[in-house]
Amino acid sequence: MRYSQVLVDHFLRPRNAGLMREPDGVGEEEYQGCGDLARFFLRVRDGRATEVRFQAYGCGPTIAAASVTSELARGRPVEELVNVKGQEVERALEGLPEDRRHAADVAAGALRAAALDYLGRRGRHV
Amino acid sequence: MSRRVYLDHNASTPVHPEVLAEMLPYFADVYGNPSSIHAFGREARDAVERARERIARFLGVAADEIVFTSGGTESDNLGVKGLALARGRGHIITSRIEHHAVLRTCQYLESCGFEVTYLGVDGYGMVDPDDVKRAIRPDTIAISIMHANSEVGTIQPVAAIGAIAREHGIPFHVDAVQTFGKIPFDVHACGIDVLAFSAHKIYGPKGVAGAWIRKGTRMVAIQHGGDHERRRRAGTENVPGIVGFGKAVEVRAREMGPEAARLRALRDRLWDGLRARVPEVRLNGHPTERLPGTNNVSFRHVESESIVLGLDLKGIAVSAGSACTSGHVEPSHVLVAMGVPLDWAMGAVRFSLGRGTTAEDIDYVLECVVPLVERLRQALPTAAS
Repeated sequence: MRYSQVLVDHFLRPRNAGLMREPDGVGEEEYQGCGDLARFFLRVRDGRATEVRFQAYGCGPTIAAASVTSELARGRPVEELVNVKGQEVERALEGLPEDRRHAADVAAGALRAAALDYLGRRGRHV
Repeated sequence: MSRRVYLDHNASTPVHPEVLAEMLPYFADVYGNPSSIHAFGREARDAVERARERIARFLGVAADEIVFTSGGTESDNLGVKGLALARGRGHIITSRIEHHAVLRTCQYLESCGFEVTYLGVDGYGMVDPDDVKRAIRPDTIAISIMHANSEVGTIQPVAAIGAIAREHGIPFHVDAVQTFGKIPFDVHACGIDVLAFSAHKIYGPKGVAGAWIRKGTRMVAIQHGGDHERRRRAGTENVPGIVGFGKAVEVRAREMGPEAARLRALRDRLWDGLRARVPEVRLNGHPTERLPGTNNVSFRHVESESIVLGLDLKGIAVSAGSACTSGHVEPSHVLVAMGVPLDWAMGAVRFSLGRGTTAEDIDYVLECVVPLVERLRQALPTAAS
């Protein structure tokens, strides 16, 4: 198996998958190379992401990356989420093969977009 | 994970126990070079020629028309380049759904100055013989059409195409890697002049294949060296592989008929189960004119590699119709040629059954694939809450 146990677990049991009604922030990222897509929804209370949900289309690593990203984002200040990079997602997945690194970038990019959307709605551009 | 189900027989098959037993003495006991004139060499030569006879008998051709090669790809290269280069220039007709062994060989020949027509196919992946007829030009020097497509299993009307080729005096090359030893056919009735076929798709070893070249067909060798294979393919013969190939063909002659009937029933059981239990699925390929063990199924909106991974984690081996390499995904050229829309083509999975496949395996696959697709679809951007 070329994938870590963490990745496999998130692929088999994705956390926080699905739509969120009336989110406080929503954003998506698509990787043009292969059409992989992730979309994140944020519920924010007192400046922190109290609920994070995602939708994803793509290969197994993309679904796992979105799932692990939803976990690493929950509870953190939204202003911090605009700095989440693909490397952090990849570390949380305990590594990705070279040809699947885009999975982490798609998930991180979608989360950043959702955080920026929330801040934009609040008029707090960063 | 305990259960393991292999449904990737169009990619490769396990070596049949009888084949393995027949091969074993040819690694360390009978190890001479078949070109050597001493007793060690003569023993190896006898084994190679016995295998050639067995294969020739199965095909209904003369033994000296069979050339052993290293694989289906080499056989296709020998067939297409061998015909083209013997003629020096001209026009070749092939189809857009050929294996890359033929497609990329044709592209190479284009770079050498040959002209190539790539025929389209219908929605079932079938070449229209009338399109072949229309594509023929005064300078057409070869026609190459596969017998059955490896991805969707559609069986091409090679007899009708062969009749057209013969009528126009054009040599006809057929890539039969997916049909040889799986379904019966007659190279003479089909008007074939050069045939490519392989061992490891029919429970023989990897690294050995064959080309049948009808006597009198003008060809050149593409691999140069010694005088092996009557100067048509240089290189010391893969003796254990060839022995195994011969045995595999003998076993196929016995098992092919009953197995085809059994696999058709299992293949239909799988497809019937999928379409009854999974919404938005489609079968790619011809509903009846299809390889006995092949189902290419599209799960709309789901990415095929995620299904392959999900099933792999359940011990099930299938193959994806689209391949993501270094972050670039390409839908299958076969499905694109068939006009399968992208949202379906990206979710294509091939289930290819074989002699070890049981009804219990099919039921287990259904048990795993139904919730997997449901779960993958729940996370989709297009899914409702």
